[in-house]
Amino acid sequence: MNMKERILHFVHSFGWPRIIIGLFLLLLFIAAPIVGVKVSTSLSDTLIRFGMNSVMVLAMVPMIHSGCGLNFGLPVGIIAGLLGGTLSLQLNFTGGLSFFMAIVLATPFAVLFGWAYGVLLNKVKGGEMMIATYVGFSIVSFMCMMWLLLPYSNPTMVWGYTGSGLRTTISTEGYYYHVLNDFLQIKIGSHLVIPTGMILFFALLAFLMWAFLHTKTGTAMTAVGSNPVFARASGINVDRTRILSVIMSTWLGAVGILVYQQSFGFIQLYMGPFYMAMPAVSAILIGGASVNKASITNVIVGTFLFQGIVTMTPSVMNSAIHTDMSEVIRIIVSNGMILYALTRKSEATR
Amino acid sequence: MDKVHISRKIWIRLAVIVAILLVAVLMFLIGKQHTILLDNKTLEFGGETYKAFSIVEVQVDKEEQLELAARDRDKAVVTGQRHSITVLYMDANYEEIEKTWKFSVPLGEDMLLLSVPALVGGAEPAIWLTHYEPPVAAAAPVSEEVVVTEDAALLGDF
Amino acid sequence: MSPLKETNWQKVLHFLENNTVPVLFLVICAIGIPLSGYSASYLAQEVVVRISRNAFLIIALLIPIMAGMGLNFGMTLGAMAGQIGLILISDWGIVGIPGMVLAMIISTPISMLLGWGCGKLLNMAKGREMVTSYIIAFFMNGVYQLVVLYIMGTKFLPIRSSSLVLPRGYGIRNTVNLIGIRKSLDNLLAVKVFGISLPLATFAVIALLCIFVVWFRRTKLGQDMLAVGQDMEVARDAGIRVEHTRIVSIVISTVLAGYGMVIYLSNIGTLNTYNSHSQIGMFSVAALLVGGASVSKANIGNVFLGVTLFHLMFIVSPMAGKNLIGQAQLGEYFRVFVSYGVITMSLVLYEVRKRREKSRVGRELAAGQTAEEA
Repeated sequence: MNMKERILHFVHSFGWPRIIIGLFLLLLFIAAPIVGVKVSTSLSDTLIRFGMNSVMVLAMVPMIHSGCGLNFGLPVGIIAGLLGGTLSLQLNFTGGLSFFMAIVLATPFAVLFGWAYGVLLNKVKGGEMMIATYVGFSIVSFMCMMWLLLPYSNPTMVWGYTGSGLRTTISTEGYYYHVLNDFLQIKIGSHLVIPTGMILFFALLAFLMWAFLHTKTGTAMTAVGSNPVFARASGINVDRTRILSVIMSTWLGAVGILVYQQSFGFIQLYMGPFYMAMPAVSAILIGGASVNKASITNVIVGTFLFQGIVTMTPSVMNSAIHTDMSEVIRIIVSNGMILYALTRKSEATR
Repeated sequence: MDKVHISRKIWIRLAVIVAILLVAVLMFLIGKQHTILLDNKTLEFGGETYKAFSIVEVQVDKEEQLELAARDRDKAVVTGQRHSITVLYMDANYEEIEKTWKFSVPLGEDMLLLSVPALVGGAEPAIWLTHYEPPVAAAAPVSEEVVVTEDAALLGDF
Repeated sequence: MSPLKETNWQKVLHFLENNTVPVLFLVICAIGIPLSGYSASYLAQEVVVRISRNAFLIIALLIPIMAGMGLNFGMTLGAMAGQIGLILISDWGIVGIPGMVLAMIISTPISMLLGWGCGKLLNMAKGREMVTSYIIAFFMNGVYQLVVLYIMGTKFLPIRSSSLVLPRGYGIRNTVNLIGIRKSLDNLLAVKVFGISLPLATFAVIALLCIFVVWFRRTKLGQDMLAVGQDMEVARDAGIRVEHTRIVSIVISTVLAGYGMVIYLSNIGTLNTYNSHSQIGMFSVAALLVGGASVSKANIGNVFLGVTLFHLMFIVSPMAGKNLIGQAQLGEYFRVFVSYGVITMSLVLYEVRKRREKSRVGRELAAGQTAEEA
């Protein structure tokens, strides 16, 4: 293939939307210094947001591999993480231990919820994505009632007036705020801060995921997604593997929200997690994944591109044309990407 | 090659579209709301002076009767193009006279000024019914209205 | 497979199985209504208002279900078109019924364009229509905001009355007062029966739509849609233009949603420029499902039953929550949970039944084959 054919082939396989998004981000980075936005600050912000969201995007991988589609039901995992986090705060763990305990406490919830969710998805093969969306919504709104009723008592968490019922946002300051961010933090100059701890944590999880996908169970999972008939014929228990992938995805969602919170500084309850699946879904799609194929590279590239746009657009646009169009652009870019992925022909047989 | 015929289907579709456009125009005409300011001020135009009345009663269409003293201004909000206005006044011989005029609102107006003295004085419609531009108040810097777009709550009534 | 005569007990079980969602809702209402303490006449009036307000929108969902496109979350696009029509007539100062008619006329070409685009996208995502229409609604929300928040009011789309425009000079305000058309249709022919005000004109319009839907089913286009909904390949073999028919079903649904939105907003009297349309899709789907409809089958009875039950639940929940636990907030969260839960349950039941149907058909075919071979 000569140069032109190679470029065309690359464009075709990469997909026009991704190229447009990549170029758009590049444009923003070039425009930034021109309109007076410090590149170092922007890069710093982007890296922080990358770390915050990366684990939740990673959570998409197992279910895509096993053929369950895009995990619009990520809120199930997020709720497990919230339960772990609030319990850790309730039991007054602080610092690094607080974060660790949050994960430990979230795990049984994640496994239980993930298992139930997986069983449900097995019963509805073919319509997973729509049902995942509404399962996510249902559990978030159910928990809204629970957050009001569960007997939490830590004064930093409950409403001061009545003493019962959790607040809408709870600060993680004093507990596990910035536990990962500040760990081994690298400061370059006065503006560029690299949250090394958080990124290392993601790298660890990503490596574990990559390693898992190369084990026997992992390859079985991939087989189930790409060719369920062949997988069953090879003796793989399709249903069990799918449930395992859902549990993994749910657990990663739980850990993901905890990573997010330690950087963000707040635990958001009630309707906070409602739409949280969408950014993660579009991020992995932007990174090159499809409804039934995803790799770790997709996670890294996609999260960086998506968070880059989300971070850069408001600051550059505000400085340039004094209008904040970032919300609208974010909606169009992220949903447009999901739309693009949904309208591709899928390679796997259902 | 056969001659290209404009099929009956296309004619019918065109006719329907034209009919709908006509309905739209009709809706615009019968539905447009206007504010008519009724003035009882002395009006001078083209050499003629139309003196204001000390007191005059005005009724637009079937709306409530409005009383105007000298230099008064009131308003009537009406819908549509054609209206009538009934004026009860005292002429130079101290006799009470009640007269009704019919008039049409020009297309596309929002606010109009109707000078009652000029109307009674027999002036041309173009003189007693004029376009009115409301003075744009110097906008005090209002705090930015935050446009709330993310709506996850869905707790509102519907 | 089944005995010649079902026992009564079996009949009841069968009924419950087929109508799980409405029965569940009936139970919820039966518990919630006495708990809330509302009087029967208050509830009756509220239900009448909700029916007159929402029925048109929900009926718009019936056509895509006929054509096998599932629940059309893309009706939000029609709602947006209706809203744009209303913004324009508010700017031009057109009031009353003429205002509503004009808004509907303006919304029609916009709805047709959006519906056509939506239909084309759905054809590219066969088998995933519902998720895709769901995402399309979100995506178009962004485009709608782009137009209404950044382009309207500028020289590209000038708006004359400053009361509609944001203080910064361009973009439409959060709320638009629709005082001009407020209750125009409802008050046209309002009749009081047993102390309850009935908006007869609105009911007449809804009745006309119902007649339209029933008539539509019998037309060739309607029959084509039913065939496409049953089996796309069989319909294609029969010579039906499958893709075109599917797109037409979405276009009709979107246009009707636009009209329905105008009626809905004229009853409420205020337009929430950036939020009204997004809620309406979700709630309309939920109401239809509560009425016993499924992803593949829905009729007018489902619409009215669904509106009644869903809105009863919606109205009594806060008060019931307050009287039961002491927090009205709990009741509000409860009704949100129930709304989403019912959609989830309906979707799950539909998928489970679909697979059971398929495996039953498969088994019967296999049994037939083995019988032949024997």
